[in-house]
Amino acid sequence: MDTMIIEFLRLVLLSMVPFVLAGQGTMLGGRTGVFNVAQEGMMLVGASVGFLVSFFSGSIFLGIIVAMLSGALFGFALAYFTTSLKMNQFVIGLSLFFIGLGVSTLLPKLILGITLTPPLIPTLKSIPIPLLSQIPFIGPILFKQNILVYVSVLVSIGLWYFLFRTQKGLELRSVGEYPMTADSLGINTTKMRYWSTIIGGMLIGMAGAYLPMVYAGTFTEGMTMGRGWLAIALTFFGGWSPLPILYGSLFFSAIEVLAFRVQVIGSFLPYQILQMFPYIATILVMIFTFKRSRVPAFLGNNYDREKRSL
Amino acid sequence: MEKKTILELKNVRKVFGQIVALDSVSFALKRGEIHGLLGGNGAGKTTLMNILYGLYRKDEGEILLRDQAVSIQGPRDAINQGIGMVHQHFLQISNFTVLENIILGTDVKNKYTMKMDQEAEKVKELCQRFGLNVNLNDMISTLTVGARQKVEILKALYRGVDILILDEPTTNLTPQEVDALFVSLRVMVNDGLSIVFITHKLREVLSVCDRITVLREGKNITTLDRKDASEEVFVRAMVGEKMDIENSIYFATEVRQTFDRTSVEAPKLKLENVNLISQDGIPRLKDVNLEVFGGEIVGIAGVAGNGQRELAEVVTGVVPVSNGKKIYLGDDVTSKTNEDLLSSGFSYIPEDRLSDGFLPKATVAQNLILGQHRIKPYSDGRFINWKTVYAETTKNIKEYNIKTNGPGDIGGNLSGGNIQRVLIARAFSMDSQVMVAHNPTRGLDIPSMDFVYQKMLARREAQLATLLISEDLDELMRISDRIAVIFRGQILGVLARDEFDKYAIGRLMSGITSENQPTEEKNLP
Repeated sequence: MDTMIIEFLRLVLLSMVPFVLAGQGTMLGGRTGVFNVAQEGMMLVGASVGFLVSFFSGSIFLGIIVAMLSGALFGFALAYFTTSLKMNQFVIGLSLFFIGLGVSTLLPKLILGITLTPPLIPTLKSIPIPLLSQIPFIGPILFKQNILVYVSVLVSIGLWYFLFRTQKGLELRSVGEYPMTADSLGINTTKMRYWSTIIGGMLIGMAGAYLPMVYAGTFTEGMTMGRGWLAIALTFFGGWSPLPILYGSLFFSAIEVLAFRVQVIGSFLPYQILQMFPYIATILVMIFTFKRSRVPAFLGNNYDREKRSL
Repeated sequence: MEKKTILELKNVRKVFGQIVALDSVSFALKRGEIHGLLGGNGAGKTTLMNILYGLYRKDEGEILLRDQAVSIQGPRDAINQGIGMVHQHFLQISNFTVLENIILGTDVKNKYTMKMDQEAEKVKELCQRFGLNVNLNDMISTLTVGARQKVEILKALYRGVDILILDEPTTNLTPQEVDALFVSLRVMVNDGLSIVFITHKLREVLSVCDRITVLREGKNITTLDRKDASEEVFVRAMVGEKMDIENSIYFATEVRQTFDRTSVEAPKLKLENVNLISQDGIPRLKDVNLEVFGGEIVGIAGVAGNGQRELAEVVTGVVPVSNGKKIYLGDDVTSKTNEDLLSSGFSYIPEDRLSDGFLPKATVAQNLILGQHRIKPYSDGRFINWKTVYAETTKNIKEYNIKTNGPGDIGGNLSGGNIQRVLIARAFSMDSQVMVAHNPTRGLDIPSMDFVYQKMLARREAQLATLLISEDLDELMRISDRIAVIFRGQILGVLARDEFDKYAIGRLMSGITSENQPTEEKNLP
């Protein structure tokens, strides 16, 4: 029994990574007002590119780096169209999603052609942390994970610290709340929006690269399976704050693992119902925390200095 | 000793589209003075100061700061040159703390921990020195307008400015808060700061300023020392030669007769225990009881956001009451829609003219009959008689001095002040039994304001009822017969004309009733 629980919780942490990274990436862009809805496409590109680079270079590390760069590129595009050209964020985000979807499928076909047996890359190994991993029960759950599990937790804590304990973080948040104020105090709102969206894009790209490197060892079409969309729900669920997003990821991931189990061993409950849980939970959370919800006030809007309403 | 000139604006010109907002305006500020910049709406006061602060580009002219020509491209430049501005609409982030708002955009000592003890110390010192008491850890969203203004001033002082521009700083302050502000300003100039005080309120410049510059229609009229000039001189400078000051209501000094309610049997409009609960479950109006009689102007005073808008919308049927009763001419009209009410003798000047009162894509004529388009003479009940509409609206355009190419002109072409005139013409052109006017004179120059007051008094003569909701306490005291003070959706008190006292009203505006004695440093959210 004990081993089953340990195994379940270990898997929850393992599967939490794409949620954490994509959620934090979305949150970071949103904190300056840029509402990214292209995660699903960006993650697919990250997965595709990450897989291909790892496959040809033999280096998973290089694969992750290039996947992050692809995310940065999408982030840059999003920032450019919304912040510099002041185009509608949703339209641009959806366009980028479809572009990502297409590119991610096309690249492997162009480069690898059609193969009978899927080309495989080695999956990420777990790195047990000396001593800590020996702790009974907790050890194997928390300290016998692959590198990106640790990274995703560190990224979350790092972002929390940056946003709420540094001057730059305060300035960044002010841009997502009331850019007119930030602008009047000499904060470069354009630069802030670009950087937050680009770095957010990197995290989302990394989230995508994780999928072939941990689950299948290969890239398959649409392998994100809606995790990108869930990342949007997650940021609302987590109130656009790094630590609640980390906790929310655990919940979303637990549902995913559970749904997978149910699919394999069967249950009275169809797994599709289980898969709806994160969305239902998000709606419930948004209803009950509505008044206290901490959505950045300027989320989804573009700031135009010339249209100053003073 | 003669005070030195610290700042000089020379021959500044600014054109917006086809409108000349500033026509060769000059302005000189001396060190250590409070300089009033006086004028009605549209005089160009704010435009001039926005140019100085780098928000607008000037078309012509120069700025001399400490005898040096300077180029100010944006607020950042202005702040670096020691110029701070407190806007009428505060630039603050509502879910940041007071301290965070003050230090935002400056370098703090502990950038990577944000332990801001040192910064807090400095702000507290400023608070004490200038009598600006705010709690640094409070969220902006929980503060009163008065407290938020202190934050805005502290923001400028923290950046070490020596020239401070205040744009209509007394809007929405209670008289007590105004007095406290003036005391603080005096301390600041004694400390070496120079202050520009933008206002349209003559009484305020007379009580606090050392020198006064009057602008009218984008032109310099005069600059005078306070002690060298009388009130009449400034009045004349503000309004020009055309206006008849003797018979104006705006500058009236004589006491008007108190409204004699005993001569009227029943109120035209009566609210009985009216409550309004918003969609998110927050009570917006609480047990409001109010009567408005024919021949009476009832004023509603209060700091903006205390339920004025909700009251106007409940009375006019825009939003249904949650519970309570509305009686109009003896009939229960609680469940009537605003369509019914507008057709049966109500008129309404909404507060937010752009979103609630005006269709920018419709013609001026259409806008002028909006809401009354269902009734005679504009309609026979089925069809609109456009011939009558054009004839009537052409008359109204003339009478209400609306600057437009004619009734067929597109509404969106009008300026803000002219849009307000359309709303006024629409409401006053019908002899409605009950009028609800919410900030009816916002954006109007003094002669136009006076015109609105004349119209309201004419309604009074005609035994019609008027409910005047205004953020301008002077306006309310000028023409109301009674003033009811609203605070957090509750009517805290009603004063008759012979009991008017701005400090008493101010106390009620900040929620202090006689049972609940004033507590000095309490910030009411």
